[in-house]
Amino acid sequence: MATNTLSTEKKFTWGGGKSPFSVSYGKLMMWIFLLSDAFTFSSLLIAYGFIRYSFQSPIVNTLIKPFDHLSHEFVQEMVEKTKYFVQDHWPSPELVFNHFPFIHGVHLPLFFVSLMTFILIFSSVTMVLAVEAGHRMAKDEVSKYMLLTIIGGAAFLGCQAWEWTTFIGEGARLYGNPYGPRSFAALFFIVTGFHGFHVFSGVVLNVIIYINVLAGTYQKRGHYEMVEKVGLYWHFVDLVWVFVFTFFYLI
Amino acid sequence: MEHIEEHFEHTETPADMKSQIWKTFWILLGFTVVDIFIYFMLLSTHAMWKNWVFIILGIVKAYYIVGVFMHMKFERKTLMYTIIVPMVFVVFFVTLMVIEGDFTNLLRWGK
Repeated sequence: MATNTLSTEKKFTWGGGKSPFSVSYGKLMMWIFLLSDAFTFSSLLIAYGFIRYSFQSPIVNTLIKPFDHLSHEFVQEMVEKTKYFVQDHWPSPELVFNHFPFIHGVHLPLFFVSLMTFILIFSSVTMVLAVEAGHRMAKDEVSKYMLLTIIGGAAFLGCQAWEWTTFIGEGARLYGNPYGPRSFAALFFIVTGFHGFHVFSGVVLNVIIYINVLAGTYQKRGHYEMVEKVGLYWHFVDLVWVFVFTFFYLI
Repeated sequence: MEHIEEHFEHTETPADMKSQIWKTFWILLGFTVVDIFIYFMLLSTHAMWKNWVFIILGIVKAYYIVGVFMHMKFERKTLMYTIIVPMVFVVFFVTLMVIEGDFTNLLRWGK
């Protein structure tokens, strides 16, 4: 903004009678809601960062490499908490999240989580394509991309359900786990659960909007702004996953 | 990075939005692949610098998701700062608490 236009600009921008942010009420409120939601996720991140750093670093695994078969002795060693999983050390994520559906007994760290990340990035793209089609009032394209987004979200939720089932099957609970500090599984369940709940709400909202798109509600209204609003929410969910992926699995 | 679009003072979608979306998608995918590549290169080591790479790549990915997918690059600056400035303070708070956790670590295990 140039300095010489500042005074008139200010008078007109905040003088009433028009939106100072150039966005509709609903979109502005969605942004403010997302900001408050980001605060909630940040509080969980603060708890995670504090608790994780107050424990000793994970013990470096030198025995097993990716694609190795998980030998009986090695699993025994992990389960008996003798070498890698002890109470004073944060467990190494590569030894905990190393399973993949239908492949048993192979050490595959990060593979499944990467797949989940790709699914969520892709569903984010289809969402923004639906928003873009909405600007052109192309109803068929909006409905096509909305459907793809819903499928992506549902696939992500399915992956998360599988991951939780495996994790719980190995003995992880909110109050304890066989990997080390109690707070490890508790934080995992709370953070991924809170994120998964957001994905679930997003899918429900997307389904409602999808039905409205099919019914032609927004075509009659003359704009597809509702698609933009749920789009903002959906991208936020993707954004949170970027950081969950970074802090829980990569680091 | 396109700095021309940042001077938009009203929320209009640029004409080449579709190509920008796909460009952003490939950038996000590429950075995620880089993340995974570094993860496997330095698997089972204690290299501290890889954590910084992961965090910086996470922030870059956040820039692209918020900027292009959430349309923030094309919104008014007032809206942009309303959302971004509080988050800067929150990130500062996260950093402080991680440092605090490190001190707790020192008290507990006394290295």
